[in-house]
Amino acid sequence: MPGRGRCPDCGSTELVEDSHYSQSQLVCSDCGCVVTEGVLTTTFSDEGNLREVTYSRSTGENEQISRSQQRGLRRVRDLCRVLQLPPTFEDTAVAYYQQAYRHSGIRAARLQKKEVLVGCCVLITCRQHNWPLTMGAICTLLYADLDVFSSIYMQIVKLLGLDVPSLCLAELVKTYCSSFKLFQASPSVPAKYVEDKEKMLSRTLQLVELANETWLVTGRHPLPVITAATFLAWQSLQPADRLSCSLARFCKLANVDLPYPASSRLQELLAVLLRMAEQLAWLRVLRLDKRSVVKHIGDLLQHRHSLVRLAFRDGTAEVETRGKEPPAWGQGQREGEVGNNSLGLPQGKRPASPALLLPPCMLKPPKPICPAPPVSTVTGDENISDSEIEQYLRTPQEVRDFQRAQAARQAATSVPNPP
Amino acid sequence: MDQNNSLPPYAQGLASPQGAMTPGIPIFSPMMPYGTGLTPQPIQNTNSLSILEEQQRQQQQQQQQQQQQQQQQQQQQQQQQQAVAAAAVQQSTSQQTTQGTSGQAPQLFHSQTLTTAPLPGTTPLYPSPVTPMTPITPATPASESSGIVPQLQNIVSTVNLGCKLDLKTIALRARNAEYNPKRFAAVIMRIREPRTTALIFSSGKMVCTGAKSEEQSRLAARKYARVVQKLGFPAKFLDFKIQNMVGSCDVKFPIRLEGLVLTHQQFSSYEPELFPGLIYRMIKPRIVLLIFVSGKVVLTGAKVRAEIYEAFENIYPILKGFRKTT
Repeated sequence: MPGRGRCPDCGSTELVEDSHYSQSQLVCSDCGCVVTEGVLTTTFSDEGNLREVTYSRSTGENEQISRSQQRGLRRVRDLCRVLQLPPTFEDTAVAYYQQAYRHSGIRAARLQKKEVLVGCCVLITCRQHNWPLTMGAICTLLYADLDVFSSIYMQIVKLLGLDVPSLCLAELVKTYCSSFKLFQASPSVPAKYVEDKEKMLSRTLQLVELANETWLVTGRHPLPVITAATFLAWQSLQPADRLSCSLARFCKLANVDLPYPASSRLQELLAVLLRMAEQLAWLRVLRLDKRSVVKHIGDLLQHRHSLVRLAFRDGTAEVETRGKEPPAWGQGQREGEVGNNSLGLPQGKRPASPALLLPPCMLKPPKPICPAPPVSTVTGDENISDSEIEQYLRTPQEVRDFQRAQAARQAATSVPNPP
Repeated sequence: MDQNNSLPPYAQGLASPQGAMTPGIPIFSPMMPYGTGLTPQPIQNTNSLSILEEQQRQQQQQQQQQQQQQQQQQQQQQQQQQAVAAAAVQQSTSQQTTQGTSGQAPQLFHSQTLTTAPLPGTTPLYPSPVTPMTPITPATPASESSGIVPQLQNIVSTVNLGCKLDLKTIALRARNAEYNPKRFAAVIMRIREPRTTALIFSSGKMVCTGAKSEEQSRLAARKYARVVQKLGFPAKFLDFKIQNMVGSCDVKFPIRLEGLVLTHQQFSSYEPELFPGLIYRMIKPRIVLLIFVSGKVVLTGAKVRAEIYEAFENIYPILKGFRKTT
């Protein structure tokens, strides 16, 4: 090519640009001599000018939903269907899952965590719609541990900045009670144990509300309280036949698992009811105990607000209302019966003075507190005596003994087992 | 062994609650969901503009509260207001308070007195609507602090010994050391006075836990460094720093955690299915508080003692506000 120079070997002007792979070369077409060579490697600035497409952009991984995310979204939809949630819940839960997936910490998490995340999104959706789904139920469905679930749940709520309302107790009572298989006679449920659903539901709700008012629900898992309340409600609707049935047997009949704390919740609830019963004159004379009070739960619940006020004084009061004598008859009137002071109430017998309305943990006797450590005047810069440090060091003899013992142990463990 | 997930898997899901049904008895009457601002601030805000805004907002709720208040209480409040208003509030607002009939009285005092002194003779059957917790808390006189001082329970500190260490040698020649490399890559050393535990890593960094005060933590760290020195390593004492302080105290009255989580949603997390306490993340100072129904409070996350005290003084008026709702 003219103007390009001459070949140093043969002097020809026929120079051709012919690249050898990625290396540009100027070659003489007559004798084949390589006149000039381009640089084999590129510099950083050169590469910056090259129009390359990054791998992630060429594969389109940022535009598509990854397979793992697709699997997660499918799991969310399946879970919503298994739980028979309304269709709108599905979309919300899916949106939460996608939103979570945008965070790199979630994208890179283990599969187990992503699986539990599915449950978390469904749970948050249910909570926001006041649908009573417990964490225990989700964990059972996902075969996950509650502690694993709890850590991921707390993390995701914080990460997404969500406002998750508390579990709706009233809805939980309705759902949970409806799951008890006591509303129809069956081979395992004798006729005297069958109960009307509406009556049981309303009484259980009242009992749960009473438990809430008397500090039995705060800070505790809600389900055992509801189990105890359901049991009491069921017993009280037909006490003659049902007092003989225990809580464990009741749960077995109803085909419901008995949560472990339910029996202590039951005792606490009965103690509250007994205190309330002492405010009613016609019940006071009966000297009720934990079994016989069940027969009168109906009455107690009917007047529960005033009875609680009478039976308990506010545990938080700064100035305690000194118990002015409550009226000798109860607040309500039973049909045909007027509780009257003159009806043979022995002299000097009065209702028990109001007990403190406090959570059970505050009513227990306080643990013997170890005396507060004396205020030490440590400055942090004291001299440290050598003897004090020496006590923490092994003597050479001890070191030798220890090493010998270690060696002996090594030898013992390294002996091969006889075939 | 998890006993709390007591339902068979399908028990809850299949019995659907039919969302249209509302419970006949409101177990939780909706409190005013309220919570603005970053911090519950019990210190008086002398910015008159914000106080004016506050007054305008509260005047909308005046009528509701007037019905609940008796005349005597209002008179007492006005006297108090005038005393404090004269001291700290600027001209414009003080004029309003001194002119004040009951209708003009700023909300600042109402919110405090209402929540702590309901009318005698009536016990709220349901949690009464708590007056909004505003970030500008009423002008509490400086002397009205809680009177409770949180006790420090644990201090975590770190120090750099400044040289590489051979953990096997340390474990061999020290009496109070344990070292199990398969389980954890550090020597665990303990001393009796102050009663603390240290994690000593091969890089020369050390973590000291268990002390009850900053000075004790520093003394303990120095003792560990001295032990390592006596074992033959050129240990120094560089960059001693307190990383975390934990304190606890008792307000001695029960607390309605469900109410607290409703009014302070953005700071609180209360999941009784997971943990019996309420986790309150205060923003200023940045402290996490664990609040329990018995009234015990655990404060953690502080770098200095003052943060714990400040956090407790911030939370105490809020907790007092939940004293009367039974």
